[in-house]
Amino acid sequence: MNATVASEYSAERHSVPIEHRFNPYSDNGGTVLGIAGEDFAVLAGDTRQVVGYSINTRYEPRVFDVGDNIVMTANGFDADGAALIDRFRNSLKWYKFDHNGKRLSILSAARYIQHLLYGKRFFPYYVSTLIAGLDDEGRGAVYSYDPVGSYEREQCRAGGAAASLIMPFLDNQVNFKNQYVPGSDGKKKKELRYLSLEEVIQLVRDAFTSATERHIYVGDGLEILIVTKEGVRTEYFPLKRD
Amino acid sequence: MADCSFGITGKDFVLLASDQSAGRSIIKMKSDENKIRTLSPGLALAFGGEPGEFTSLGKRRLMGGTSNELAKRGGESDMIKRDTNNFVDYVERNLRLYQIRNNTELLPAPASAFIRKELANSIRSRSPYAVNLLLGGYDKVHSEAHLYSIDLYGTKAILPYAAQGLGIYVALSTMDKYWYPDITRDEAVELLKKCVAEVKLRLAYQFTFNAIVIDKEGVKNLPL
Amino acid sequence: MEALVQRLAPPPAHVDPDEYDLGADGEGNLNALGVVRGMQVPRVPDPAAFLSTYTNSMSQNPQAKIKLEHGTTTLAFRFRGGIIVSVDSRATAGSYIASGTVKKVIEINKYLLGTMAGGAADCQYWETYLGMRCRMHELRNKERISVAAASKLLANIVYEYKGQGLSMGTMICGWDKTGPAIFYVDSEGTRLKGDVFAVGSGATFAYGVLDQGYSWDLSDEDAQELGRRAIVAAGHRDAYSGNTNNLFHVREDGWEFLGNKDISELWYKYEQEKRDARVAAAAQPGSGEGAQGENPARPTTEVQSVPMEE
Repeated sequence: MNATVASEYSAERHSVPIEHRFNPYSDNGGTVLGIAGEDFAVLAGDTRQVVGYSINTRYEPRVFDVGDNIVMTANGFDADGAALIDRFRNSLKWYKFDHNGKRLSILSAARYIQHLLYGKRFFPYYVSTLIAGLDDEGRGAVYSYDPVGSYEREQCRAGGAAASLIMPFLDNQVNFKNQYVPGSDGKKKKELRYLSLEEVIQLVRDAFTSATERHIYVGDGLEILIVTKEGVRTEYFPLKRD
Repeated sequence: MADCSFGITGKDFVLLASDQSAGRSIIKMKSDENKIRTLSPGLALAFGGEPGEFTSLGKRRLMGGTSNELAKRGGESDMIKRDTNNFVDYVERNLRLYQIRNNTELLPAPASAFIRKELANSIRSRSPYAVNLLLGGYDKVHSEAHLYSIDLYGTKAILPYAAQGLGIYVALSTMDKYWYPDITRDEAVELLKKCVAEVKLRLAYQFTFNAIVIDKEGVKNLPL
Repeated sequence: MEALVQRLAPPPAHVDPDEYDLGADGEGNLNALGVVRGMQVPRVPDPAAFLSTYTNSMSQNPQAKIKLEHGTTTLAFRFRGGIIVSVDSRATAGSYIASGTVKKVIEINKYLLGTMAGGAADCQYWETYLGMRCRMHELRNKERISVAAASKLLANIVYEYKGQGLSMGTMICGWDKTGPAIFYVDSEGTRLKGDVFAVGSGATFAYGVLDQGYSWDLSDEDAQELGRRAIVAAGHRDAYSGNTNNLFHVREDGWEFLGNKDISELWYKYEQEKRDARVAAAAQPGSGEGAQGENPARPTTEVQSVPMEE
């Protein structure tokens, strides 16, 4: 009785291992956007997932409620993004087990995510990460990261494929960059003020409809996660599906 | 070879300064080479680039393709090495010829157009010059001083003050800070000395400089 | 003592084997060799080559998928009144301005500042960690760490990673028993003590203003102004630098933040001041053309005529 099945390959000898090019990265498109208000913060993302010129799905959520009134997204390569968010959620769960259910402040969450990202400094997550929530004083907070964990608290930030399309719009409409008091001959800058939630949602919708018009990786649907002291709620708006 | 030159204009004068080094690769063969040429009584040129040598870009342009093609066409022997000095000679003689034919000097503005066109033609030829120039001139008709920067591609800019070569990196900000419109001659000289001092302080390369001043009286040496 | 405490301490409730290396000594998230515990490295023959294929952190590979933030002007100089630290706030990813509000001065503690040039994450992460190590030194030795020791700590850490793709050029600035001190530390392993440093893509332009205005005996105001002016010069000439300027002054009792100002607005302010100075000088009879306050000496230059060259 012969235990092995004879095959064409049995005669092949490999004196050297077969080498493959190690390419662990892909780009799944999509774009995300976070804006902090006076007592709220929003994190929005489109729901299209692509690879190359193919649309994988028209509804794959990008922005997640990770607990403790924190919302998070890691846009770019979806597998890396999912891995990062899973790791954060898992750590948060263990943090609660270990510390008697203590709430994780957004400040600490932000620093912890830096460590998650920097831990892969030599094999980076191919993502641009954003988190949003409320700080200890109850004010809206958005933190943004580069792929290896440098981070900064900001009033607003766009990430992902259409970041360079949306960010200048946000500079103008949220931080009033290059806006001056009418009649002041460009001398007096428009005074900064907090935007209301309604204004912010309208801005986010405008940003995404415009990005959808000009970027092939953006479209299908817009999901906005809104953080207030009452908790996280979600709003969905359709975008063009072409 | 590393170059460094400066130009500063005031209301009725232009200063030009250039380093005096000449050599190949890491070796300095000469430290008293004059790289400023007087073209006419009111016009002078500070020139830098690759004397007698082509940049890698020059080679590619020359052969119009990759190194493979270069081999096909017979390789290096095809190349005619042209000196930056050769270009400046050519410009100088042609401006002189113009003067003889027309019994009038070319003013700085048309002279700069002529030089620019020559470089624009050169870069499209089989043997381009790799030369960067600062052209300073005094316009006797309008009583104005002019400074032009022209690079090897034929890009021309009219500037109030300019640096070329390594001087860009360390001394252009010095000029930004201390230059002002209608700067006096003494202060322009002081500014030039600041630039030269900065180059000597911060660049690892050792430069010596010579300088000229151009005004309505003509071109004069300027001891630094 | 530490070993005893470690032995008696209850085991951590949750340990992700990927993230902690139990056996090794060390500090916080670093093992005894100064390597991050659980640092993940791709399983390829040459991890550094892998990194440079996919990020622009080591090479200027424009095809790199992961664009890390780069491009900067930072400076620090020592003078009679302490140390001035001045930086820009621009972060670029390729030609895109990723941020104009980056904090490039990292406040290690009340007496120590670190600057950020190169990889933003590398600087932020390791200088924050350096802050932790400096605090440990204080607790163990009942005195503040010297600037020399702090900078050596950082230099040693990054040296462990030499050749693996870290990118940082930083100045560790502070006041210790010996007075004000600046150390330049970079990811190549260089560590230099000095009086005047500028680091980043716009450093040469900053030097051009800094060197010409610098003197040990500068007043506090003049030194602060020089620090700002040098960053403005760099922001003006280096496309990778710009947006705003952050200014710090380190004195014996610690550092002080002197504000954030728009570089573009400062540029126009300086140009206006230059014009005003001319007008004022012209209005003042006898003072002639003296405009630059810093440059009162105006020797007349002798000019000799030369014939046209052959």
